[in-house]
Amino acid sequence: MAGTKVLRSLLHELRQASPNGCIKDSLAARYILAQYKKFATTEQQFCKARNEATFLGQTYLTYLASQRRYLELYKEYHGRGERSVRDTADLVGFKLPSDPK
Amino acid sequence: MNGKYVVSVIRALRLTNFSQCKGAASSFTVRHYASPPKRFYKKTSVASGDSGYEVVLDHRKLKTPKGTPFIVRSEPLAIAVATEFDAQKENIERSRMHLSALCFTAIDNPNHLSKLDMVNYLLNFIATDTVLFQYDDEKDLQDLQVNEWDPVIAWFNQRYDTNLQKTMNITPPQVSEQDKMNVAKHFQSYSLETLHGFIFAVDTLKSIVLACAVIEQMLTVEKAVALARLEEEYQLKFWGRVEWAHDLSQQELQARLAAAVLFVHLNCSENLVKQKIIL
Repeated sequence: MAGTKVLRSLLHELRQASPNGCIKDSLAARYILAQYKKFATTEQQFCKARNEATFLGQTYLTYLASQRRYLELYKEYHGRGERSVRDTADLVGFKLPSDPK
Repeated sequence: MNGKYVVSVIRALRLTNFSQCKGAASSFTVRHYASPPKRFYKKTSVASGDSGYEVVLDHRKLKTPKGTPFIVRSEPLAIAVATEFDAQKENIERSRMHLSALCFTAIDNPNHLSKLDMVNYLLNFIATDTVLFQYDDEKDLQDLQVNEWDPVIAWFNQRYDTNLQKTMNITPPQVSEQDKMNVAKHFQSYSLETLHGFIFAVDTLKSIVLACAVIEQMLTVEKAVALARLEEEYQLKFWGRVEWAHDLSQQELQARLAAAVLFVHLNCSENLVKQKIIL
C-alpha cells in the first residue's frame, strides 16, 4: 500500500505548491492519476525496471516536499534588512512614547 | 583685518570639510540586486508538437535563457516544468527551479560541452569521491562509515565491474585504467542531455558512487543525501543542529538531487528498457 500513501502525499504537495490551492485542473495531478490507473495491477508490464514507477513518484514527492521546506526555512531565517524602531522596542520589551501606558 | 581673514579661512575650511563629508556619504555603496522577474502569466500548460513537448505560459511559448524554444522529448518532464512555473507566486525565482534549470542547461549547453568532456569530468571525479575517503581515528565515525558506505562501494564495484578501494588517509584512491574504461563505457551509452543530469547529481552529492546508486534505484534520494552528509550528521550529535545551516543545506541538496534523478529517468526511459533486455 506504499503506492497509495505516495499518491496522497503527492497530491497534498501539489495542492500546497499551486498558487490558489486547487488542483482540479492541474496537469501534473491529472498525469499522476492517469499513471496510477495505468499501473494499478502491476508496473512490470512495460518492461520497466522493478518498482520504477513508485520510485519516480517518491522522487517527485521528495522534490516537491524539500522545496517547500527549503522555502519555509528561507522565509524564516533570511535577513530582511534593518529592524524598525517598533520591532526593536518589542524585542527588548520597551514601549514607544506613542504607545498607551 | 587679521581677525576677518582668520574667520574667512575657518569658514573655507569648514566648507571644504563639509563637502568632503558629503562626498564620502555619496560614495557609500548600496548593493543593488537584480529583482526577480514578475510572474507575467496566469496559466501554464503543455503543448505537443512534432519534435516534442513545449511549455506554454498563457499563450506564449517558454524559451530558454539563450532564446531557443523549450522543447523536451518526455511528456512528464514538460508537465513537471509547467507545474514548477505554475508554483511561482509573485516573482519567478529562477534559482530555486532546479528541474527547469536543468532542462535549460541541457537544451542550451552554455559551456559547449561534448560527451567526451562530460565523461572525462565524471571519471576524474572518482579519485575524489566522498565515500572513498574514510577516517579511522575515531571509532564511532569509522563504524558508521563502514556500515553505511562500504555496502554502496561493494554494490558499485559489482555493478560496474570495477575494483575501487577506499583510502584511510590523504592519498587518493587508486583507480586503474580498466576501472575507468568500464565506468566510461557505461556513461557513453547515455545521451548528451542525460549526462547533464548525471553531472548535476554528482556535483550535488560530491560522489559518483552515491549518484549512480540513487539513479539505479539502489538508494532513495533522502538516504543518498544522508550518506553524502554522513560526517556532518555525526558531528551534529556533539555540536548541535542549526536549522538555518544544516536543515537548509539538507533540503536544498535533496531538492537538487531529486531534480537530477527525475531528469535522468525521464530522459532515458528507452535506455533503461534496453538494459533490462541485456540483463
